[in-house]
Amino acid sequence: MVKAVVEVNNISKVYKMEEVEVPALMNVSLTIKTGEFVSIVGKSGSGKSTLMHIIGALDRPTTGSVVVNGRDISKMNEAQLASLRNKEIGFVFQAFNLLKRTTALDNVELPLIYANIHEKERIKKAKEMLIKVGLEDRMHHLPNQLSGGQQQRVAIARALINDPSIILADEPTGNLDSKSGRAILDILENLNREGKTVIIVTHDMEVAREAKRIIKIVDGRITS
Amino acid sequence: MALLKFETHKIAIRAIFANKVRSFLTMLGVIIGVSSVILLVAIGSGLQEYITGQFKDLGSNSLFVVPGSQGFQGDPGSAFANNKLSDTEYKNLISYLGDGIETSLVVEGSKQAKYTNNTKLIQINGVDSNYFRLANYTLSEGEKITQNDIAGTTKVGVVGPTAVKELFSGSSPLGKYLTMGSERIKIIGVYNSKGGFGGVDRDNQIFIPYTVAKKYFGLERPSTFYLSIPDSVDKDVATKQIKTVLLKTLKAEDFSVVSQKELLNSITGILNALTLGLAGIAAISLLVGGIGIMNIMLVSVTERTREIGLRKAVGAKPIDILLQFLIEAVALSSLGGIIGILLGALGSLGLKSFINTSITPWSVIIAFGFSAFVGVAFGTWPAYKAAKKDPIEALRYE
Repeated sequence: MVKAVVEVNNISKVYKMEEVEVPALMNVSLTIKTGEFVSIVGKSGSGKSTLMHIIGALDRPTTGSVVVNGRDISKMNEAQLASLRNKEIGFVFQAFNLLKRTTALDNVELPLIYANIHEKERIKKAKEMLIKVGLEDRMHHLPNQLSGGQQQRVAIARALINDPSIILADEPTGNLDSKSGRAILDILENLNREGKTVIIVTHDMEVAREAKRIIKIVDGRITS
Repeated sequence: MALLKFETHKIAIRAIFANKVRSFLTMLGVIIGVSSVILLVAIGSGLQEYITGQFKDLGSNSLFVVPGSQGFQGDPGSAFANNKLSDTEYKNLISYLGDGIETSLVVEGSKQAKYTNNTKLIQINGVDSNYFRLANYTLSEGEKITQNDIAGTTKVGVVGPTAVKELFSGSSPLGKYLTMGSERIKIIGVYNSKGGFGGVDRDNQIFIPYTVAKKYFGLERPSTFYLSIPDSVDKDVATKQIKTVLLKTLKAEDFSVVSQKELLNSITGILNALTLGLAGIAAISLLVGGIGIMNIMLVSVTERTREIGLRKAVGAKPIDILLQFLIEAVALSSLGGIIGILLGALGSLGLKSFINTSITPWSVIIAFGFSAFVGVAFGTWPAYKAAKKDPIEALRYE
């Protein structure tokens, strides 16, 4: 039996906005197994981002429990969540979120700094990752010297560097032209083929169809 | 954790150098504050060293009689304006006190002095023959004023190196006559340089018999009586005796008797208060510098909201973010402190050719410590704000 990497058990998330309670997720349960390629698809405001934030340990559910790689995040404090994000989650964002004025190599190293890895080891690993995403000749470039597709590949290298259990990609092709977007999806598919669990969050059905399993979310509930 | 701290340092320093102009402008407040603290304390300590040095010359056996009831602690201006001392008291002291006690007095004034075509305003000191020994003046050539000169009201004088240089164009003045007003004073000696401080040139003086000063220049009110008490005589007893003699002709509020130690203490006290006051005013600019740092750190935290969000997403704990921004603030203020110390030290070295300055280690340590403290005090709140940011909100920030 394949181990579950994410177990979401009957969670709800309610935001309080000036005395009014706005439910973002209601009674959501889902299990994602190691090595799966899943997309979570829904319109803007459907609650898919909230679900992604909770799976990514950036946020905690109001009720219910979320177990990531055997650890329940609903009871963790900020520092524990940070440590879990550092080791178990690799984020890929729509806007790449690279540090300006910092080279590709330094950007990729960043999660290892917070994992207390020694500099020599960091540089070695970061170089390996950049080679893996095909940027061996761009290591010392700054983000603004790279194309969008290249920046997103730096971000993927950064997401992979601490060997996380899950790659969590939030609209990873949203800021890219179709050709670079295709290249990014190919990289994610390759990673999945190598055994990584990949979760893509998107509003775009075409992107969602790349995954082997599609979870649709409407008005805070999973519909399929 | 140690490793992490080192990395956090690197991140913080990088942020400072990424914004060189802004970082420099931010540091400017601290730089100005620290350098003025260093400079003012150096001037104050230099002044103190100089003045206490001069009074130490007088020796610990010295007692002084000065006008006014509070010695040097009251208002010296009104004390001298209402000066009741005269040579009557001085003569009384000489006749009543024992032989072992050496005395002199000094009456002060100034006058335009002329030799051939050279003129210069010169300080006149009317003194007794013991003055040179009591006030530690030594001669480079010629002779001192003698008891005979005093008694005979002989128009002779001893001049300093500045007078020799500027009035006598550097040639020996011995036997020459200096014209002061309608009087002609024969120069009989030249004293060794005493140096100067600020605008006061102690080498631009002429010493003449006090009897001459009174008769020909109208200088009647002595500013000080100098008395040297031998070791065998108890100072308290001597002080009492002096008071008894003076009270024959004066009232208690007209004079005071102080020892060299008291004089030193009161002068040191005044100078310390002055130095501290100046340093305190300078320290206010450090405070303003701190507010500048806080302001920039708050702007910087807001500007870098997305960076904070990203760092948190990849595993930075709140404490990591807090330290990053706190270290940045402390590095800014400490760097400003170091630059300020260097500037202040350079400034006080530069002033050395004009006035005596002395860079004190404690002012350097306090100024640096205070600037680092300013970084912590004014960096904590912005750093705390950064650490508290919600990663989701921060990542969405445009």
